Amino acid sequence: MADMGTCTTPFCNAGWAEVLSHMSPYGYANFGIAFGLGFSVVGAAWGIWLTGSSLVGAAVKAPRIRSKNLISVIFCEATAIYGVIMAIILANKVKKPEQEAFQFEENWDFPSFYFAGYGMFSAGLSVGLTNIASGVSVGIAGSSCAIADAQDPSLFVKILIVEIFASALGIFGIIVGIIESNACTFPIAGIEQE
Amino acid sequence: MTTKVQMVHGGMTDFNIYHGYPEALVRGMRCSFLSDADYHHLTQCESLDDIKLNLAESDYSAAVADSDNLTPSGFQGVAVQKMVTEFTYLRTQCVEPLSTFLDFITYEYMIENIMLLLKGALSGRNINELLAQCHPLGMFKASTMRSIPTFEPNARGFADLYQTVLVDTPVGPYFAMFLQESSEKGGGAVRNVIEEVEIEIIKSSLIKYWIEDFYQFCMKLGGDTAEIMGELLKVRADTNAINITLNSFGTSLNEPAMRISDRKRLYPSVGHLYPAGTAMLADVSNEEELGRVLELFPAYSGIWNIHSTGNDKSIDDAFYERDVQQLELAFEGQMHFGVFYAYVKLKEQEIRNLVWITECVLQQQKDEIEKFVPVFSFHAPWRGGKKK
Repeated sequence: MADMGTCTTPFCNAGWAEVLSHMSPYGYANFGIAFGLGFSVVGAAWGIWLTGSSLVGAAVKAPRIRSKNLISVIFCEATAIYGVIMAIILANKVKKPEQEAFQFEENWDFPSFYFAGYGMFSAGLSVGLTNIASGVSVGIAGSSCAIADAQDPSLFVKILIVEIFASALGIFGIIVGIIESNACTFPIAGIEQE
Repeated sequence: MTTKVQMVHGGMTDFNIYHGYPEALVRGMRCSFLSDADYHHLTQCESLDDIKLNLAESDYSAAVADSDNLTPSGFQGVAVQKMVTEFTYLRTQCVEPLSTFLDFITYEYMIENIMLLLKGALSGRNINELLAQCHPLGMFKASTMRSIPTFEPNARGFADLYQTVLVDTPVGPYFAMFLQESSEKGGGAVRNVIEEVEIEIIKSSLIKYWIEDFYQFCMKLGGDTAEIMGELLKVRADTNAINITLNSFGTSLNEPAMRISDRKRLYPSVGHLYPAGTAMLADVSNEEELGRVLELFPAYSGIWNIHSTGNDKSIDDAFYERDVQQLELAFEGQMHFGVFYAYVKLKEQEIRNLVWITECVLQQQKDEIEKFVPVFSFHAPWRGGKKK
């Protein structure tokens, strides 16, 4: 059933499926890099302000916790580093074609072209979203760790174990991302035929 | 360009934006309470000099170092001043809605101070003496405080006092509600003279309005704060209702005519005892009937048994013990405002303990000295330890 508003000429897209499948793989790959880095940094920053504000407050009455509890902040920072690693790996894989032309050459390797675009998008997203969860989780645990350490120093190591498990979530993301993006290569020229 | 003030309470993921620093501060102050070892040393003291020496080794060291007033009230003044300094520091570090929450805690002291001034004016005491006795957390400007005892002690004077002085204070709305209620109560039967016993009734009414207002505010905040503060305020309201009933035996408030019209109005409308329990309490005329009503509520039947078996503990001690147990629980969870209220109340309990111990040492009553409720003690009955 055609709406009055949608255009039906061949110049328009026939729905979202066409929009999504016609987006350039270069676009997908670069968005993957942006999401991967951006979401990781959001997660890391979120975790740092969650734990930092509690650390500063608890250190007023118990100054000895200052240095030890910076480990929580370092764990949060690690999630941002995973994002940067993934972004650098992906950014190095995006290549432009050797020959400038209006259209792709004949025998352009379209399968691996699209595979690379989608694969890098997914790798970036997997790193970014897992790092948000990991960053927030480490932040909340770190905040409780600082407050508990101020009362009883023996609790520090035990709560640190909780934080280690929380930051393992970010490692899962980057492992899957690397495995996925390994197989992605952008073609730079048409397949040569003997 | 003015930005709208944000009233963000926050859940687990964003509480720390606005309230992370004050909350961590107040949790750090948890280690400033006197420990079991401190209490042990204090109870072994022979003189007030020893007490000052022992306090100098606890968190009170800076506070007692400057004071030479070695009397129980001197120690109390020093301890209260320390708590007020800490509270003021917390109050300056926080934003909405935590600042409103902390203000609510001070309103109780404001009501107490105003009632103290009015009562003192009736018995003709010196204004400076009265001002020295006021709690620092509930002070207004000096000019406001000095003008309160100058009003006439009758219904007209009270209305004048409200119009000119109290309406600008944060507790003004509670006085407005009280005046409205007492004018509704009866044209002909309005009391013309405000006597001492009626100051107590006015205070109970004002505290009732304060508890209800505070409760509504906490419920609006939602989350863990609503849960924890709701429980604490309900228990507070029930304690008030039971105390009002108990203290009314033997006074004019216990007469059948007065019970429904006057005493029932003093019961707060929050709490586990509301509405069925307070309706029953309104009819109670002696301790036996009160006991029978409280049997129906398991939380209070235990406390009532302590009172009725008449051993060393009074009902106030039983209430204090139960309060300390619940307030300590407020420190168990993170990311809520209950810790601030619990901190102030537990500090108050500690100050009460200090005064008790110094009085016992002064009067050389060593067998009474153990009758205090320590805060965060490892020997507390609810921690599985045996009370010494």
